[in-house]
Parts: sequence; C-alpha cells; structure tokens
Amino acid sequence: MSASNFHPLSQLRPGARGRIARVTRDLTSRAERLAAMGVTPGATVTVLQTFPGIVFECDQTELAIERMVARCILVEVE
Amino acid sequence: MSCPHAIADLKPRPLLRLRAHPLKIALVGNPNVGKSVIFGRLTGRYVTVSNYPGTTVAVTRGRSTVGAEVCDIIDTPGVNALEGPVTEDEQVTRDLLQGGGAELVVQVADARNLRRALMLTSQLADFRLPMILVLNMIDEAHARGVDVDAEGLSAALGIPVIEAVAPEGRGMAELREALATPAGARAAKDHGLSHLEWAEDTARQFRTVGQFSLGRFQEWLGGAVRQPLTGLPILCIVLYLTYLFVGVFGAQTLVGLLENGLFGTYLNPWATAAASYIPISAARDFLVGEYGLITMGLTYAIAIVLPVVTTFFLIFGFLEDSGYIPRLAIFSDRLFRAMGLNGKAVLPMVLGLGCDTMATMTTRILATPKERLIAILLLALGVPCSAQLATIMGILGGISFAALVTLFGVVLTQMVFVGFLASRVLTGDRSDFIMELPPMRLPRFRNLMTKTVLRVRWYLGEAVPLFLVGTALLFVLDRIGGLAWIAAAARPLVSGVLGLPPKAAEIFVMGFLRRDYGAAGLFLMARNGALTHVQAVVALTVMTLFVPCVANFLMIVKERGLRTSLAILSFVTVIAVGTGAVLNAVLRVLHVSF
Repeated sequence: MSASNFHPLSQLRPGARGRIARVTRDLTSRAERLAAMGVTPGATVTVLQTFPGIVFECDQTELAIERMVARCILVEVE
Repeated sequence: MSCPHAIADLKPRPLLRLRAHPLKIALVGNPNVGKSVIFGRLTGRYVTVSNYPGTTVAVTRGRSTVGAEVCDIIDTPGVNALEGPVTEDEQVTRDLLQGGGAELVVQVADARNLRRALMLTSQLADFRLPMILVLNMIDEAHARGVDVDAEGLSAALGIPVIEAVAPEGRGMAELREALATPAGARAAKDHGLSHLEWAEDTARQFRTVGQFSLGRFQEWLGGAVRQPLTGLPILCIVLYLTYLFVGVFGAQTLVGLLENGLFGTYLNPWATAAASYIPISAARDFLVGEYGLITMGLTYAIAIVLPVVTTFFLIFGFLEDSGYIPRLAIFSDRLFRAMGLNGKAVLPMVLGLGCDTMATMTTRILATPKERLIAILLLALGVPCSAQLATIMGILGGISFAALVTLFGVVLTQMVFVGFLASRVLTGDRSDFIMELPPMRLPRFRNLMTKTVLRVRWYLGEAVPLFLVGTALLFVLDRIGGLAWIAAAARPLVSGVLGLPPKAAEIFVMGFLRRDYGAAGLFLMARNGALTHVQAVVALTVMTLFVPCVANFLMIVKERGLRTSLAILSFVTVIAVGTGAVLNAVLRVLHVSF
C-alpha cells in the first residue's frame, strides 16, 4: 500500500470510500468528541457531499462536519 | 422472537423483593435512539418524541409496575460520552448515575450502530450498576443489512440483550421480563482494553454487515435535501407550504371562522346580553367591555392565536419527525459560524419558532457557555414563536408579500448583526461543527397527533391564563388612568420616533407580557384601519425584536441567572426600539407604502 493512498477527509471527493487511519489529536477535545460519534481508526467511511459542508457516512451513521474538523481525519482510500 | 438473554435465564427469578422505595431505573443511551419512546411504552406517559438528537434535555420520571414491583423509570438526555469533556445535557445524565439516582441502567442502543453503543456500554459498566442492553430499531438495522447476534452478545457481556422496535411495542414484553434479572456488564476494564478497542472487537465479533439496498426513496430524499441544488428549492417549497397552511389556512380561513363566526356572532353578543343583568357597570366592563376578559382576553387567545398555533404545531411536528430540520444545519453552518455558533444552533433556532421558552432550554445541546449565551440572546431577540408568527402572518399576509419580506429581512439582518457583535465581544470559544443526521422517516400519524394535542393543551394551559391576567391588568390600568398616562409618557417615543398612533403604547405594554398578545392587539388595530401599512410593519418589527414573554424571561433567569437576563432584556429592548426608529425613518424617506 503506497503512502499516497492516505488523504485527509477534507480532500476527498463525493463517492470516495475508505477506512479511517488516524484522527489527529490536539489540545482540544475534538478527537474525543469524534470518537464518541463513532469516528475512530478502523471505521469505514463514504463521502456523500463536500459543499456547503462535508457530509459522510461512518459505519451506519450520517455525519455533517466542518472542513477544519475534516482535516484532522486521515482516511486510507480504497 | 427467540429468547436472547441466555445467561440471565440461568438465575432463579425472585418473585418479589421488598424495598423501602421504588426501584429506580434509568434509560440511558446515545442521542436519538428512542429512549423516550421506550419510556412512554413502560410508563404510559407521553414525553415529546422527535427525530433529532436533543429532544430530551432534562430527566423525566414516571411510574411503572413490572411484575409485582413498582418502579420509577427515568428518561435521560442522550449522551455520546460519559467520560472526558461532556456537554451540559450529558452532565445531567452523568450526575444522575454518579449520585445514586439510578439502581438499574437500561441502555437503549441504535442497533445499526453497535460499535458506538458498545463504547457507551463500556463506560456505563464502570458505574458498576446492573444493566440491560436494548437494541432498538432492529427493523431499520435489518433493512440496512446489519445483523446482530444478540444471544452471543448477551453471553459476552453477561447482561440481558433485547431486540426491540419500540414504536411498535416489539421487545417491550421481553424488556419487562428482563428488568428482574439485570447484571453487571463485563466490558473493557475486565479485558484490560480501552473502551474503543473493546467496542471495536466486540462489535466485529457479533455484528455482520451485509449489502444494503441504496436507491430507496428515503435514501434519495435524505440526500436530496442536503445537496444545495435540490435542497434549497426544497427548502423554499417547505417554507411556502408552511406559509399556505399556517398563514393562509390558519391565520385567515380558520381565524375568520372563529372570530367572526363563533365569537363575533355568538359568544360575544351572548356574553354581552348575559352581562347586562349584572348591576355593577365596572363588573360588566370587566367581562365584556373594551378590555373585557371575554371580549378581549378570550377572543385574542382562542379566536386569533389558537388556530394559527394549532396549524403551526401540526406542520412543525411533521418536520420534526421527518428528520428534515437537522439537515438544515449543513446550509446554515457558515452563517452561524459568523455569529460565533455552529450549524448545530439551527435546532434551538427552529425550535424557537415553536416556543422560545422551550428552545431556551434546548440551547443545552450546544457545547460551550459562549454558544449557549449567544443562542439564548438571539432567541430572545429575533425568533418569533408560533403564536407570534400567527399574528404576523395574519396582519402582513393581508398587506403584501413585500411587507412580510421586509419584516423578516430586518429581523434576520438584526440577528446576524447582533450575533456577529456578540461573538466578538463575548469571551470564550465556539465548538466544532460535528453533527449526526438522523435518517429521514415518514412521521407516524399517532405520534404527530399526540404531540400536537399535547402542545395545544400546553398553549391553552400556559398562554391563555397569561392573556387573561394581561387583560385584567389593562382593565385596571385603564380604570385608574394608568393607560392614558403611559400613552402620554410614551408618546414622544411611540408617535415621535416610531411614527405610530398613541394607542400602540398600550399594545407594547401587553407585548411585555407576551409578544403574541401584543401582536394580537396590533392585528385588531390593523384590521380596524387604525394602522397604515408602514405603521403595521414598524410596529410588528419592534414587537418581534422584543423579549418573547414573561415565561421566556423566567426561563432565561433559570438558565443563565438574573444579571445576565436583565442585561439581555435591556439590550434587546434598546435594539428593538432603535431598529424600529431606523426602519420607520427609512421607509418614510423612501416613500414605501407596501
């Protein structure tokens, strides 16, 4: 698997599928809040829409997030 | 259905335990998984059920008998996490579990989301309370190709696991049975794993995800409403249909029937005739005079406001249950960010259209104190509640569409402006926009009816008495010459600055009690030709920007304390009058007449 298959969620196009590889931890509780919604490494994601906000499906949950949050989610694209 | 709680069945079942108090059972779970529906099924009490997270923001209690035992069932706000940083409504649930408020925990889970549910199971297990796990919405899970091995899961966790479809009552008998045999759950701690690792492993072991069928109408609609190209036209259609149903059918057709028909032709003449037997003229006027309890108070409450409130609650309940409202957050996120909030704030704002007082409570779903304060301020400032929308549509619908657009344009601009300032003046942070979108569903007719009836009853119980108190107050003020004094004192402001007739001052007095009551007064003035079109628009704008009602003010005090509330009250009043003055000047200079 080449490294170029890893992209932040914010850069994916609608229809892209993959698995979450890493959620960047910072000083805020962002990663914890995402984890509570099921956004954790290993979860499968499908990007549904990128404008005006990012909407994706994570396992069986549909989530809407802002771009800044999507930058922290690294996805291994299928 | 097979009996899923294999382990639990091995234990002998006690027939009856003696207790000093009823067994306290807490329903806990992720947001929007159906805790309130199960609460209703167990207790027979209805609590508001909607299809979006955050409907329940405080605990509700109800009695239920299970076998021969009396239980207290506790419905809690949904939680995503119980450890680490939590929101105010999550704190409510955590406090309940920590403080010994519950002796048994029934975790309600969305069967489609086993991994997420198990993360919570694991955190709940740390409270060391006996537990039961309910996999709700198992039908929707199956429809999406998700299958859970409930028996295996029950064996692994050591607690009863029940499959349920709560709105249909499926699994409720099994749940009642299982309430007698809860057990401590084995979770992450017992395996030396983190909550996440354990949930991941366990979910993988007991859940199978097959191919689920896309292309269903629901899926399509869920996508269509959030894409800008299709979503914005759909939003316009929804708003227009709402206007037709509430503004035209409710505010014009039904109000006409009730006001001219029921009150104008029958009740008021009868009451006047009956009152003519009362020898004291003051008492007569108190009932049927200009500020009479029947001729003014009841007429306003029942004939003008009630029809619109009812039609609004119907359409609002439909939208709530369909899962449409949270999807509006996607479009509004950027706008709300400029105001120091995020898209999630669309929930309290839209709820405010139903009732600002309830919506003020719902601001608890917002993550930071700054966000909650801004949301409460904006609710108090600009969001008209259903009763007030009623009168706005009634008056301006009769003038022109441009008048309606002007009012909402001015109010919205003012909200954005104030929000923008507040986000810069107030200290604190905005939280990330991360929001779960519930599935689109066709609302259930029974839930819609129950909810509407409940809300209308609430309106009758809460608003109507205030209308009567307000009318009585006006009557007394009028008798002792207070109204004339207020009208004279406010004349420079009301007539000079706002360009309104002096009688409008009385209406603002009523408006302090309830905005919609004041607006109902304007409604009559406008129809009697006492207001020009420009005056109607200015007066309604000022009224809309006022603090909604006494109840709303008291709720702000409860949520944020007296000092903050008084600050909000005076700020909002200044903005309201200031905006009215500017609007009046601009409309006159431009010679707008609608």
